Amino acid sequence: MIAPTDQPGKPVVPAPGPAPVPAPVRRSQTASTWWFLLPAMLLFVFVVLVPSARGVYYAFTDWDGLDPDLSFVGLDNFTDLTRDEDAVQAIWHTLLIALAITVIQNLIGLLLALGVNSAIKSRNLLRVFLFAPAVITQIVTAYLWRNLLGPDGAVNSLLGGVGLDSWQQNWLGDPDTALWSVVGVTVWQYSGYSMVIFLAGLQSVPAEIHEAAAIDGAGPVRRFWSVTRPLLTPALTINLMLSSIGGLKLFDQVYALTGGGPGHATDTLSTLIYKDAFTLGEFGYSIALAVVLTLVVAVVSTGQYFMLARTEKAAS
Amino acid sequence: MKTLRAALATTASVALLAACSGGTEAGEGKDSRTLTLTLASVDQGSVEDVVKAFEKANPGVEVRYTTSGADQYQQQIRTQLSSGTAPDVMSVWPGNGNPAATHVLAEPGYLRDLSDRPWAAKLPDATRSVAQYDGKTYNALFGQNGIGAVYNQQALKESGLTAPTTWTELLAFCKDAAARKTPAFALGLQDNWVTQIVQYALVATTVYGPERDFDQKMQAGQVTFAGSAWQTAMDKYRTMEKEGCFQKNPLGTNYEASQQLAATGKTLGIVQGNWVIALLKEKNPKGTFTLKPLPADDKPADALMPAAAGAGYGVNAKAKNEELALKWVDFVMSPKGMNLYVEKQGGLPTLPGTGYTVDPSLTELSRFITDDRTVPFMDQLWPNAKVQQTMLSGLQEIFSGQAEPKDVLKSMDSDYKAGS
Repeated sequence: MIAPTDQPGKPVVPAPGPAPVPAPVRRSQTASTWWFLLPAMLLFVFVVLVPSARGVYYAFTDWDGLDPDLSFVGLDNFTDLTRDEDAVQAIWHTLLIALAITVIQNLIGLLLALGVNSAIKSRNLLRVFLFAPAVITQIVTAYLWRNLLGPDGAVNSLLGGVGLDSWQQNWLGDPDTALWSVVGVTVWQYSGYSMVIFLAGLQSVPAEIHEAAAIDGAGPVRRFWSVTRPLLTPALTINLMLSSIGGLKLFDQVYALTGGGPGHATDTLSTLIYKDAFTLGEFGYSIALAVVLTLVVAVVSTGQYFMLARTEKAAS
Repeated sequence: MKTLRAALATTASVALLAACSGGTEAGEGKDSRTLTLTLASVDQGSVEDVVKAFEKANPGVEVRYTTSGADQYQQQIRTQLSSGTAPDVMSVWPGNGNPAATHVLAEPGYLRDLSDRPWAAKLPDATRSVAQYDGKTYNALFGQNGIGAVYNQQALKESGLTAPTTWTELLAFCKDAAARKTPAFALGLQDNWVTQIVQYALVATTVYGPERDFDQKMQAGQVTFAGSAWQTAMDKYRTMEKEGCFQKNPLGTNYEASQQLAATGKTLGIVQGNWVIALLKEKNPKGTFTLKPLPADDKPADALMPAAAGAGYGVNAKAKNEELALKWVDFVMSPKGMNLYVEKQGGLPTLPGTGYTVDPSLTELSRFITDDRTVPFMDQLWPNAKVQQTMLSGLQEIFSGQAEPKDVLKSMDSDYKAGS
């Protein structure tokens, strides 16, 4: 347990490294640390790194996933990708979904966290309810919502019931609303998850600072902006990273809700990778798409990490 | 101490690796006297009975099988074949054009030649053409299916309308049905494979009516989708939608929901394959459903129906138990096996003389097959799987106003020309 007064800004990141020890003991400890790391590292190398590296090789071939006879095609798959309208559209959808989810989910998550952090009654029960969707499997949530959002589903019935007939939509069947429906379902599922992380951050903000600010005459808004917000930065960093990576990789919800349709209106890089490989048997091309997705995730998350780390430093 | 630590770490890593590799050996034949046949099938709901009958006919044999939906199966079987973990016998689709079709799997040598089996020579020409690759038979095709308008007889009677036999009658039928608040047909376009069904039903008559050799002409490069009667069929599909032949929001409705509509009489029927009848009966056991051709022009005598062999069975070229695998396909193609299958699936057997009594709901389909008034499902003769996928998402795009038929047909042409 880290005393809140020692590390006010780092509620969810444990303090790194052991306490300083005399030099000779330290050397032998380092050696034994390596021995303990070895099994996990071996596993990581042979189960993750080696197969991934071997997989990347296929991005430069015309492998159909079936015929052992494959030929090296150089960068053809990557040049095809730039000419493939569906792929370009999917990259755009992926970025749009990731951005929308990151912004909306964290905004709602933060508001929920502030709400259930206040002294309202039944707040513990509320926390459980709000977190519950995050525990359900994505595919189950998606199938549930697929029925709720159907033309005669609960959402349209509810809107009709309260006299908002003009708001009724063909939620998943209309290319204008389908993408946003996918975003909506994902946000519904994971806002509670963001809330929990924000809540952990909020609870590590010492009450004394709030009291001191209140005595100095700061109102609730000012207290949030000048006291809570800077101390929440680490929680924000984690939330932004998790939601943007999750948004970029989004597959289950899209596949189960719309299958990428109508047409290609909701196809993301992940669904396209899946379809190209397993429905069309274009494994080489699909792996090239996967390489692009990996690069996008790496660039976005590294950039985001450094940007947020700087903000965190400035705030502390 | 250091050595002990090293030893512990090594043991731990070995144990971990062993834990990861475990599982492949698990579950080998429980009794050494039991012969085991492995089987992967898409015939959910019917293969179970056939397995039981096969095990009964072959004492001491155990069939270990898995069943899955077509999409999922096509994805799995390719991975299994390429990694050498495929079962002895597997579902294989006729012809070409899908990822687990006869051509696709036979070409790289994954299937055993079945030309020497007694039933191979007896297959009718239309079926044989799609069971073969390079002149050799690879697929035990046991059942035939057809596509048309499936009517809910009770709902039809209540509406006071009669099933149309011409295109003009069809549009009037749609109008009358819509006016009675029970649209003519349920359509579940959210599942993209469903989009092709109405298209195929219309293409059979509009394209193949005047040009029975359309596929040969396509292969020879003499005709293209764009500019052919495929365009007429797509326009008719859209006309049907505009005239209110389908329920509201077909793109937001899935296959399951569309069955519910037709089964419970919220629509008068559904345009589907005969396989839907068993599913409709599950949802409404008291219902009576009949399959009729979907009219596409005003001369009923010229109407054609899409009808083709459904998925059959192929034998793995590297089957662990080849003898048993061959016994399985022979059993499936025997009158007993074939009848068991088609009775449960609601189709028709591919071989004549099985003593099978046609279900009354399929009388018309059976008559069309006997009169040689059927054409294969269009994708079975296409050179690759992409043409069909382009059509499926293209039809969704047409219905959601994102594309025009001529653009979709042009894309299909360029995928077709890309070859296999």
